[in-house]
Amino acid sequence: SGELYCSLPNPRNVRFESINMKNVLHWSAPEGTGDGVLYKVKYSVYGVGKWIKKPECRNINRTWCDLSRETSDYEEQYYASVKAFLNGTCSDWMETTRFNPLTDTKIDPPMVSVSSTDRSISITLTAPEKWKRSPEEESISLLQVYPGLLYNVSVLNKKTKKRWFFSISNNTLVVPWLEPGTAYCVSAQIHVTTPLLDSGFSKEHCIATLKDK
Amino acid sequence: ADAFLAAPQNISILSTNMKHFLTWSPVVVQGATVRYSVEFQGEYEREYANESWIPISECSLTAATMCNLTEDISASVPYRLRVRAQLGATRSPWGTLTGFFNRVTTSLTPPLLKVVADGHHLLVELADMGPAFQFRVLYWKKGQESRVKQKVLREVSSMVHLDTMEEGAEYCVRAQAHVEAINRSSSFSPTQCVRAQGDTSLWL
Amino acid sequence: SVAEIRAGFAAIKANIQSRDPIRTLSVLSHPRSLHKVKSSDRCCVAHHLLTFYVDKVFKHCKTEDSFVNRKISSIANSFLSVRRKLGQCREQNNCACGEESTEKFKQILANYEGLNVTSAAMKSLGELDILLDWMEKSR
Repeated sequence: SGELYCSLPNPRNVRFESINMKNVLHWSAPEGTGDGVLYKVKYSVYGVGKWIKKPECRNINRTWCDLSRETSDYEEQYYASVKAFLNGTCSDWMETTRFNPLTDTKIDPPMVSVSSTDRSISITLTAPEKWKRSPEEESISLLQVYPGLLYNVSVLNKKTKKRWFFSISNNTLVVPWLEPGTAYCVSAQIHVTTPLLDSGFSKEHCIATLKDK
Repeated sequence: ADAFLAAPQNISILSTNMKHFLTWSPVVVQGATVRYSVEFQGEYEREYANESWIPISECSLTAATMCNLTEDISASVPYRLRVRAQLGATRSPWGTLTGFFNRVTTSLTPPLLKVVADGHHLLVELADMGPAFQFRVLYWKKGQESRVKQKVLREVSSMVHLDTMEEGAEYCVRAQAHVEAINRSSSFSPTQCVRAQGDTSLWL
Repeated sequence: SVAEIRAGFAAIKANIQSRDPIRTLSVLSHPRSLHKVKSSDRCCVAHHLLTFYVDKVFKHCKTEDSFVNRKISSIANSFLSVRRKLGQCREQNNCACGEESTEKFKQILANYEGLNVTSAAMKSLGELDILLDWMEKSR
């Protein structure tokens, strides 16, 4: 639609926020505007000649729009843009910077599960999955997206307060020769070398070794 | 007017563990503060950009007689380096480092290593040497020198688990720093040995 | 090393890409993505592209920003040493140039020459992560 002149202040801080390649466009409302502002969103694949409207984000009053489906090919790069409307006037289109899902996403920590015997603990790590369109769709682990993925594992002896670190590439770790009847807390982080990406450390999973028989 | 301000002399590079510094002797003018500016030229600038020189802003009009080049010398190609003095509007001729500098010649020191036995567990802590470094850690059960095991560690400055140890056995560890970007390694750190069941050792 | 090139580019990516207002054209990735290049042709395409950047791109990317210029210099010099390593593959005849790689590279040159030289150079520099993603994935 050809709005002749748009005097409304622009949406601010238009950017992608991406976690495990769930790519959501976020923005802040134009300065000084209260309720009642509506927005519409469009996106484009970098290098391809057209902007594409996102129907589900037309005339919305929220300040985010999930573009995961439209930006799921991580071999492409993208732009997105937002326009605001209020009382018959509008703002300019405000664009993101160029978004590269492969390098610009954040990675969640791995899932950690721990079991124990009297003198050992077994740790199993599961890398998060790439965002997918529907539960029925085939899951893609981030391990497939980032082949050089490693795990840094921290094991804390709650009695001695000593913390050990392990750097492993497979997803299981057995720590033998531990003290019986002792609590150990495990947390893990994902480390990707190319491109350089680190998840945070997972929350701690604590487990006690069994008491000596 | 430039003529009477002498060019800096004794220009040299100090390069250790992938940190590179240009140094020179001060140009002395009684009662005045002489300042210096440094420029670099990589192989790319020589071969493809009309032998252009690039100034280092952190070392432009500096009173120091040293300049940290580490951020700029970030390719394994020959670089030329030059520095000139300035006093007010008067500038000296450029003093140029003799020959070229390539970071592949940096001197690499063995890593600082601390080996700990915690119960049956063999652990090491390595001092951080910078993002370019990884560490090759060799460890073996004393008496079984032919069965050396190896781990390559990137994340450091924390207690890293190497292996579990047999009851009461003594294990020895040594490590070398490796820089993938220049494909070179330091010499090995002195060997440290600890015994299973709680023996600890001090930094060397 | 490629990791150092990536770190250097990450430091100036936003600055460089903001200088490229043309969203509808890409030098490297359209109409056919680099990821579609057959594995047998990858070495040749990579060598062509490293040479393309050294010969045609970096020299037209001088900016008013000293920090950006210094990062471009370290990227350009790193390209020389990466290309030298890749050159060793060519010497061992592991870098065959098939029809596809020649076609792909022609397409890239055509995209490049379709723009004025400064815009084309700045756009190509802004697409360095496309090249690096592809090179690292192909390793």
